[in-house]
Amino acid sequence: MKFTLVINGAPWSSQSALSALKFAEAVLASGHDIYRLFFYQDGACNASLYCVPPQDEEDIPERWQSLITKHNLDAVVCAASALKRGILDESEANRYEKPGHNLRPGFTVSGLGQFIDASQQSDRVISFVT
Amino acid sequence: MSTSHYLIISGAGPYSGFLPRAALDMALTAAAFEQRVSIVFIGDGVRQLLKNQDTSAQEMKNIGKMIPALEMYEVNQVCLHKPSALAANIHDEVLIDNIDKIDDSALKQMISGADHVMVF
Repeated sequence: MKFTLVINGAPWSSQSALSALKFAEAVLASGHDIYRLFFYQDGACNASLYCVPPQDEEDIPERWQSLITKHNLDAVVCAASALKRGILDESEANRYEKPGHNLRPGFTVSGLGQFIDASQQSDRVISFVT
Repeated sequence: MSTSHYLIISGAGPYSGFLPRAALDMALTAAAFEQRVSIVFIGDGVRQLLKNQDTSAQEMKNIGKMIPALEMYEVNQVCLHKPSALAANIHDEVLIDNIDKIDDSALKQMISGADHVMVF
């Protein structure tokens, strides 16, 4: 079965992100496919390269990155959600003349249209709300 | 892209957080991608349909001004859940014009008839 996961929560603000991450791992471990991970609203914060959690806490953004890289997943961050939370890729940083960029490798920034597409292409869309 | 029916259910008060705007953004995006889109305002969400909203003191975007524009952007159906409005003592004369009123059974039909249901 093809799944799309919508992640609405920032890494440590609610259970949303970790639940989604563990669900994604379980989907892949069960032999199903992930069509797209869509990071929306506060979920955009999962794509920040600049998060430094305490050593005794899970590094959720790092775990996303490993999962995305290992399985070559399509991980899209909603552009409007990302920009206003200070998650920028290199081209956006240049465009808005910001001094740095912090989008993790493996993630791409795109529009809400990617969610509409995913909802059509997937057998199931699971939202992890806060 | 094929055409599906998206039903968006907006249940939060107009200035309670990001959900009302997120629901409208989703409706507009789905419509821009030539999908069939219905939006239903329910619970506290019915307050988004009040006319004469004034947000100047709050310095927030006026949701009441965005809703009449939905039709222009090809959102097919804008509906009010009538029982929610009655429970909040909100009557037709204080509501934005040209909103379809639906009861519980019509809502049930919309939910079962939609390909995608999104709750905000």
